[in-house]
Amino acid sequence: MAEISFPLPDLGEGLIEATVLEWLVSPGDQVERNQPLVEVETTKSAVELPSPQAGKVVRTYGGPGDTINVGEPLIVFEVPDNTAGIVGTVPQDEAPKRRVRLSAVLDED
Amino acid sequence: MSGRHTGEQHSHTVEGTDPQLYVAVHEPGTDAGLRPVMLLHGFSSSAKLNWEDTGWLAALLEAGRRVITVDLPGHGRSGAPEDMDSYAPSRIRADLLQIAFDAGARPLRDGDPASGLDLIGYSLGSRLAWEFGATQHELVHRLVLGGPNTADPLAEFDLVAAQRYLADGTPIADESTAGLLKMAQLLPSNNIFSLLSLVEAIKGEPFDPAEAVPRMPMLLVAGDKDERAASMPELAALGAKAGAMVEQVLLPGRNHTNAVTSRAFKQEAISFLAV
Repeated sequence: MAEISFPLPDLGEGLIEATVLEWLVSPGDQVERNQPLVEVETTKSAVELPSPQAGKVVRTYGGPGDTINVGEPLIVFEVPDNTAGIVGTVPQDEAPKRRVRLSAVLDED
Repeated sequence: MSGRHTGEQHSHTVEGTDPQLYVAVHEPGTDAGLRPVMLLHGFSSSAKLNWEDTGWLAALLEAGRRVITVDLPGHGRSGAPEDMDSYAPSRIRADLLQIAFDAGARPLRDGDPASGLDLIGYSLGSRLAWEFGATQHELVHRLVLGGPNTADPLAEFDLVAAQRYLADGTPIADESTAGLLKMAQLLPSNNIFSLLSLVEAIKGEPFDPAEAVPRMPMLLVAGDKDERAASMPELAALGAKAGAMVEQVLLPGRNHTNAVTSRAFKQEAISFLAV
């Protein structure tokens, strides 16, 4: 298993911080992608942030009333190892390499 | 977000002029077979800010509801007409009725859960929903009114002070006016002069909830720190006196700005409308 941390995303309009209103998930919860994670309030409006990731919640940052700056950690997920590396990149399915045995020698690879 | 949606500028004229309202109909992935839900946003907001960014649209689609969103004149992606008539609450209600029918809403029929229309409003949207429900009882099935008020803070808005402030920066004495204008100016998408036209039109037709009272079941919801909705119990009493089934929910710790994202609010509304 690996951990992936997500920061508070850029909420647009030059906003630099948001205040946590209420967490909708807790550590230990298994969440789906796009599932509502947390309600936050900025100087302009209140928004609900959907999950960017499927996985198990390890940690959440900030309780109701706490301020989080854009770019600071918001939530940490635990995900299977083979998905941890693909965040922020285009996942690539590499064709499995075929091994061809030229002899019948029974060694390991 | 699940479901498909189509959006367009509404061009079915009701009073001879095009209201230029931006309407979107959102289809759920799995339709629960219930009547459509129309969402009415608040002053200086939009369908996107009030209902999409707050998670309402996704929650309603998830519940299998077909959703109609509309931006009020001068708000969101709607046009900003120059004539004052386009902003009159009565004119807006007529346009909303046309929009509902164009989106497929049909008058209520006994035993047909797909007939009729449910309305969810917030703030100014709740005022419009109250009036719409009172006059369209053959169409409206149930109402959910968020951050509702018996008075209309927009009717007391000091337009002269606002215009002076916009012209040369003269400070606004009235706190409510200053707050509303500040809120309106925060969003670059707002057409401030169009919003002031709406205020002026509302002053011409201020909210008088006792004048016409909806009799369908209604759910009233506000934050317990929402000063603008302090008179919600009076609204509930008016509805109950007229024979409506009225439920009230107070959201702990929430105010007029941040009650709208509340998960409890959404859950109460969705179950209230799921009959």
